Parts: sequence; structure tokens; C-alpha cells
Amino acid sequence: MKAWKITGIVLVAYSLYAGLTFDVPRLVILNETIRNLYFHVPMWFTMIALLGNSLIQSIRFLRSGQEGSKVNLSRDLKAKNFAEVAMLFSLLGLFTGMIWAKATWGTYWTSDPKLNGTAVTLLIYLAYFVLRSSIEDLEKKARLSSVYNVFAFVLMIVFIGILPRMTASLHPGNGGNPAFSNYDLDDGMRMVFYPAVFGWILIGWWISLIRHRLDILKKEK
Amino acid sequence: MLRAKAIKTIFLWDWELQYRRSSGWFVSLLFSAVVTFLTSLLIKNPTANTWLALMWMILIFSALQIASKAFSANDGQYYYVNQLVNPLELLIGKSLSTSFSTLLISLLSFLLFYLWVGFPNISDHQTPLFPLLISISLGSVALSFTLSFTSAIASKVDGNASLMSILSIPLLLPTLLVSLRASKLALLGQSIEQIYPIWIGELSLCGLSLALGAILFPYLWRS
Repeated sequence: MKAWKITGIVLVAYSLYAGLTFDVPRLVILNETIRNLYFHVPMWFTMIALLGNSLIQSIRFLRSGQEGSKVNLSRDLKAKNFAEVAMLFSLLGLFTGMIWAKATWGTYWTSDPKLNGTAVTLLIYLAYFVLRSSIEDLEKKARLSSVYNVFAFVLMIVFIGILPRMTASLHPGNGGNPAFSNYDLDDGMRMVFYPAVFGWILIGWWISLIRHRLDILKKEK
Repeated sequence: MLRAKAIKTIFLWDWELQYRRSSGWFVSLLFSAVVTFLTSLLIKNPTANTWLALMWMILIFSALQIASKAFSANDGQYYYVNQLVNPLELLIGKSLSTSFSTLLISLLSFLLFYLWVGFPNISDHQTPLFPLLISISLGSVALSFTLSFTSAIASKVDGNASLMSILSIPLLLPTLLVSLRASKLALLGQSIEQIYPIWIGELSLCGLSLALGAILFPYLWRS
């Protein structure tokens, strides 16, 4: 087993243990739910990292057919698998966030820009999967879905960037609410939060690569 | 590389086809007229928010209707067109002609909407027409640039009419939010100084989708 996989396991295990047992600041309303920071926020970091790699794989696929060389279909397959696992993480982030929202805001779903941003991200990538499944020819499928992946990723980032500036948000760091890091993410929490983010990204990467290998094996069979 | 003459040819070719076919331009106009009339029967004296939401729903679906036909030619026609122009010129020509017809249809359906539904009741001031028209025009052009590109993707997939809306509606949201904000400020009679930063936002979204399309279209079109 490679070192980065072991690092991923160790970091996630540490963040699970430390996240549930270490001392955290006592804050009104948040109380013990502040521990969810270690589990909810890393899901979004992981989602963006995996989608970023999906974008890179799509670009590399589109470039692979350029210099007279043969097109590399496995790059497109990799882009698909990373996007799929990213959607798994976005659902996990959504569920952990809904539990947190129920505890602190009193409801599972509000019309918050970040929640809407997540809903749109899910819609965009579900459309990407629908596009893939509606084309038979393998090379055409890879080409069209790579083009859509690049186009959609950029507009999604624009959307996530614009939206919180247009409307008020209940999330920390938006709409006048200071972010955690400004006042209450103390050094003790940082020591758990950053390893958790890093660990979850590694685990997400690993899951995506396993799925990718499975797909390649299925194709060869 | 990019020849203005080629873009002009594509633009004019598209317009001639639109005029000669009764299924072209006229269908889109009739579509938006029918939807607007239906809306006017369903709602009386809407509030400002409802008014804007209804108007943009009509504009989006009209724009979707127009753009979904942008790349609908048969293989023979494209075989001929591809001899004449390169992919980038084709995309720009098609985007321009789509945005031009979307703009016309949007303004016409806005007029019909104004005629049948009227302005919402906002007391103590008059709504100036000019900033509202600019906001709507820029917004619908921005919508049509994004839609032309997704239409090109959808046209490569045979026989899937609803794919176009699934692919494009989530991507239209940034443009839609910015346009909604601009037209809301215009409707509430804000001064130009407060609206023009949002117009710049609308313009930059036009530029963004056109630039992205220009980078990606050559990969999409080779086959």
C-alpha cells in the first residue's frame, strides 16, 4: 500500500477520534455541534478537489487526440469516476449540513445561497451523467461529455462565486457573518480541521481511483 | 484566422433560413405570445417579485425554444458549411444570429407582457422604461450565448429533445440571477449609477460563455 493511502487512513482516523473527544470552544447555540465542522466542511473541500481533477482529466482527454496521437478514452473514464465520487461527497456534505442546520437554525432546509449552490452543482453533474448515458458511441460520448464538463465546471464556479454576494446567507463568512477562522476557530480546532480536510481528500481520491480501476477491468472483460 | 466575412455569411444564411421557413422565427414568436397570454389570464395585479419571475420564466423558455433549433441542420448541409468556414466562425455566426433573434423575441414578448399584464403596482414613482429595456436585452443576449453552446452539444446527440433543457437550465442560473437583479433595480426605478455595475456583470457573463465556447467548440465539432 502506498504511503499517501496510509496517510489518508491515519488522518481520517485521527480526525474521527480527535473530532469527537478533544476539547472544543463552548459557544451559544452551536454548543457541541461545533464538532460537525470536522466532518461537514471537509466534504466540500473534497468535492471541489475531486471535481477539479475531473476537470483536469477532461482537458487532458480533449488534448490527447490533438497531436496526431490516439485519443485516450481512459482519461474521460477517470473524469467520470472522479465526478461520481465528488457527487457522493456532496451528498454527504449536504446530509451532515442538514443535521447541523436542524440543530442550530431549526430547520433542515432553508433558501440559503450555499444550499442552492449545492443543489445546482448536483443538477449540473446529474445532467453530465445523463448526457453520458444518452450517447452510444464511446469516442463521441467521451468528447461531448468532456466538453460539457469543462463548460459546466467554469459556470458552476461562477455561480458559487456570485451567489453568496447577491443574497444574504446564514452561513459563517457570508452576508456579514464572520467566518469561523475570524474569531472562534482556535488553534486546537485547527489541529483537527486541517488534517481532516487533507485526510478526506486522500480518501476520496483513493475511492475514485478504485472505481476507475474497476471500470477499466469491466471494459477489458 | 477569424474571417468577418465568413461569420457574416453564416449569420445571413441563418436569417434567410429563419424567414423562409414558417417553422423558424414565427414559431418562437407565437410560442412566447401564447405563453404570455396564458400568464395574463392566470394572474392579475402581480407584485414586483411575481411580475419579474413570470417575465423571466417566459423569456427563458422562449430563449430555450429559439436556441434549441440553432444547430438543427442535416449532415449534408453541415458537410457543405464545414467546407466554407472553420468551427469557430460557425459558432460565432450561429451565436450572433441566435442572440439576435432571442433579443427580438424577448423585446416583443416584453411588449406583449406589458400590454396584457401591465406594470406591477409600485406606488409613489414611475418606472422609467429605458433601463428596464437595457437590462432585459443584455440578460437575454447573455442567456442566448450560453444556450447556443449547449444547443451545439445537444445537437450532436440524436433524438433527445429534453436533453437540451436538462443540460442548459442549471448553467443559466448565474446569468439569470444577475439579470433578475438588474431588471429588479430598473423596475423599482433606481438610478443608472446603481444599475450599470450589474449591466457590466451581464456583459461579462456574455463574454465568458462566448470565450469558453470558442475554446471548446473546435473539440466538439470535429468528427
